[in-house]
Amino acid sequence: MNAPKSDLPQGTLDMLLLQTVALGPIHGYGIAQRLQQISRDAVQVQQGSLYPALHRLENRGLLASTWKPSDTGRDAKFYRLTPTGKAQLKAETANWARLTEAIRLILRTADGGAL
Amino acid sequence: MTGPAWFRRGADRELEAELRDHIERLTVDSIARGIEPGEARRRARLEFGGLDQMKDACRDQRAFAFLNGAGQDIRLAFRGLRATPIVTAVALLSLALGIGANTAIFSLVNSLLLRPLPVVEPQRLAFISSPRAISLGPLAPSTAAWSYSVWQQIERRPELFDAAAGWTTARFNLARGGESQFVEGIWASGSFFRTLGVPALLGRTFTEADDQRGGGPDGAVAVVSYRFWQGRLGGSADVIGQRVTVENSPFTIIGVTPRDFFGPDVGRSFDVAMPLGDEPLVRGRESLLDRLFLGVYVVVRLRATQTIASADAALRAVQPQIREATLPALPKPELDRYMTGPQGFLLVPATTGNSTLRGRYERPLVILMGVVVLVLLIACANIANLLLARGAARRHELSVRCALGASSGRLVRQLFAESVVLAIPGATGGMVIAWWGSQLVVRQLSTQTNTVFLDLAPDMRVLAFTATVALVTLLLFGMMPALRNAHVVPMEALKEQGRGPTSDARLRLTSGIVAAQVALSTVLVVAAGLFGRTFASLATRDVGFDRDRVLLVNINAQRAASDSEQRLPLFERIRDAVHVMPGVDAAALSSVTLPALSGGLALIYNVEVEGGAPVPATLLGGVANGYGNAVSPGWFHTLSMPIVAGRDFTRDDRAGSPRVAIVNQSFVRAFLGGGNALGRVMTLTAARDRTWEIVGVVGDSVYATLREPVPPIVYTVLAQAEGPSRMVSSLSLSIRAAGGSPMLLTRSLAAALTAIDPDLTFTFRSLADQVDASLTQERLVATLSMFFGGLALLLGALGLYGVTAYAVSRRRTEIGIRMALGAAPATVVRLVLSRVAVLVGIGAAVGTIVSVWASRFIASLLYGVTPRDPATLAGSVAILAAVGVAAAWLPVRRASRIDPAQVLRES
Repeated sequence: MNAPKSDLPQGTLDMLLLQTVALGPIHGYGIAQRLQQISRDAVQVQQGSLYPALHRLENRGLLASTWKPSDTGRDAKFYRLTPTGKAQLKAETANWARLTEAIRLILRTADGGAL
Repeated sequence: MTGPAWFRRGADRELEAELRDHIERLTVDSIARGIEPGEARRRARLEFGGLDQMKDACRDQRAFAFLNGAGQDIRLAFRGLRATPIVTAVALLSLALGIGANTAIFSLVNSLLLRPLPVVEPQRLAFISSPRAISLGPLAPSTAAWSYSVWQQIERRPELFDAAAGWTTARFNLARGGESQFVEGIWASGSFFRTLGVPALLGRTFTEADDQRGGGPDGAVAVVSYRFWQGRLGGSADVIGQRVTVENSPFTIIGVTPRDFFGPDVGRSFDVAMPLGDEPLVRGRESLLDRLFLGVYVVVRLRATQTIASADAALRAVQPQIREATLPALPKPELDRYMTGPQGFLLVPATTGNSTLRGRYERPLVILMGVVVLVLLIACANIANLLLARGAARRHELSVRCALGASSGRLVRQLFAESVVLAIPGATGGMVIAWWGSQLVVRQLSTQTNTVFLDLAPDMRVLAFTATVALVTLLLFGMMPALRNAHVVPMEALKEQGRGPTSDARLRLTSGIVAAQVALSTVLVVAAGLFGRTFASLATRDVGFDRDRVLLVNINAQRAASDSEQRLPLFERIRDAVHVMPGVDAAALSSVTLPALSGGLALIYNVEVEGGAPVPATLLGGVANGYGNAVSPGWFHTLSMPIVAGRDFTRDDRAGSPRVAIVNQSFVRAFLGGGNALGRVMTLTAARDRTWEIVGVVGDSVYATLREPVPPIVYTVLAQAEGPSRMVSSLSLSIRAAGGSPMLLTRSLAAALTAIDPDLTFTFRSLADQVDASLTQERLVATLSMFFGGLALLLGALGLYGVTAYAVSRRRTEIGIRMALGAAPATVVRLVLSRVAVLVGIGAAVGTIVSVWASRFIASLLYGVTPRDPATLAGSVAILAAVGVAAAWLPVRRASRIDPAQVLRES
């Protein structure tokens, strides 16, 4: 356990999940693994919130799922992005970019300012 | 919608498989990293967390997740309620009774006070009333009555309103002779149905063409109500064109009105309606159309562009013209007041129709509404307590579920679901009770001469009311236990296992609820006491005459003696014949029977005694200073009223002989300061040129109602009646039975009357019944408040029993130890009873304070008892104390029989 882990900001989990699934059909465990790899263990996704989030997204029509054979030989539930999900991801990414840029600007201003 | 079961189960299986797959992979990865399989499995499970919690969380995300959970909650709730059938039954019954009582009283409030008439756009209807009519008070109709000629003037001015209609109510006798069969009738103008917008269900309604003096092109026509058609006419389709005999005249039925139309009068349902113009066909030369006081109510329909104010202004603009055109033959002072100032026009909204019941029942109904709300609160408290107690019993179960991962929100939801499962059948049961109860109440309102009808079919307003009540109730009794039990700390609850003292907080809450119940019950018992005593004082009031042995026969001789001059002699012949019948002790005639408002006719006078002090007009809302009655000799003897000075009327007091009068003692006090009355001379209303000499003084009696203080009464003798009062078509024969019930005489009387003249029509009623009928409102309020007071006591007793029993079971160990240490059973009894005493004491004290404060609202309904009557308050507290002891009896007995040895072994 090296760097201190931070909690995900509210609402970003959905975006991360959509982004992860966007790379191709993947099962729940795979998503958890990939999230951990991508964020190099810096961001911890609570197991407890992963599946409810997946089911929520599926329910909202952003994800679709199918059961098909996996590497273990058993069927696993694979998630993939729906067209709605794709659009949503695009919108949220753009939104996120704007937000982070804004925050970056604010932070820079604060750094260089009277403080 | 929870979806089909197989679908839900399939989804659950999938979820399970998905989550297990995750754990499996976690394990496999760990093993791959060289961890021993058993350990790997353990770590994977640990890392993943509670499987059931995860499943719950995922389910919550599904479509209709809330409802899905709700379905499960409700299934669980049913199971839980079935497990404790007695608690469930008591809760359901209290709830149904509470909601039922509220809905029943609200149905009455709704149909009498709130519901618009079942006609087209009732909000555009208005009555032509007068300021005086509006100030007349509770016994008067909602609007003023005008003479037929005033109505004709309005009819002739169609530019005033969109439409206008006049009507008057009457009881029609359908019998051709013998005992009368009355139905409710309306005389209405030709524009009546058009103005109200009421179509015919069958045939047609009558129009202006039918409303001609003496009948229209189709002769005398009648429109009948749906109820009359279904009931008396058998509901046959060929009813149109049939004849119906009304007051001995044939009428052709031309139409049937729709089912929900009961007429313009709320509290009354018409059977037969006939055009005003046909009235002379029935009454002949005595038609009321040309008299001053037929009493036509006028309803108008405003144009869409008119407001009440603008229409009122237009109406007042023509008031002087109408006054000029209809000036009656009245003496000077009365004539000056005719249709001016307070007797002028005033337009008032008519959306809810006309009613004579409304004024009398508005306040009692509002108070009863308050009473049933209190009953409902008590019922809620009971159910809350029952659910709390059950919640405590299930604390262990809940804590186990909590420990196994059920979220606290989930537990609250499930406890709440139980309340919902109770509330729905409770509300449904309440509706049934209300339907039945409100019909029962309306039946109590009817008397022999006044059939009360209220349309009680539940409308949107009643349904909304019941739904709101059920919802509020649900929040009251459902939320408390739910929240109370949400904070189950698993470890503690598991340790405790139903023993130990942790539930003190619950006991405090429960005790508080019970004390509140006692307080509310006290208020209701006090109210029941006050209303009960009011009724008792009125029912046992000395009315001043013998009510128990007298039979009243109202005789109509209109057809038997078409020459009105011959009627009085005919009535006297009848009296003489009846007087000598076996079983008859005495018989006499009178125009008024007592109490007059119950009998249906009152005579009012404005009296001036020569040389006496003027007496202000205070009777019946300020219209008269004395009542009157025209009687035959022997009437006082028949009613056992003592003649305290002077003499009774005799047969020598006839037309042409000096006019004589007899007054009561109250008259002597009011007009003559209690001095000598005999020989004094007086004038009566409207006949200032004629005088009456007082020849006798009789004992006091009630007159209009039993509530009224004894009023001044002037008795005149029938034989000296002049003008229209000599031509009366009906009089009452009072008959005192020699022994036994006076009603036993009816059969032989009917035979005797028919033998005298087969065209006579008559009705029988005992004087006792007529006196009783005048107490309908008081009896109803007393009965209902006592019923609800009793219900409150029962519910309160249940609550008290519950909390005492619970307290005893909680303190079993303590009591056992005390007994082991030598406490006598009496000490234990004292210990438990002191608890009950504190609860009852606090509750009764608060209840008494609230009662004293609230008594101001019912003061106007009371009679013979003060609103803060100490005896009633003390009696109510005593009753509650007795109920408290009774409720505590079983638990106390159980406490005193605790076996110390066994308790000590257990702990």
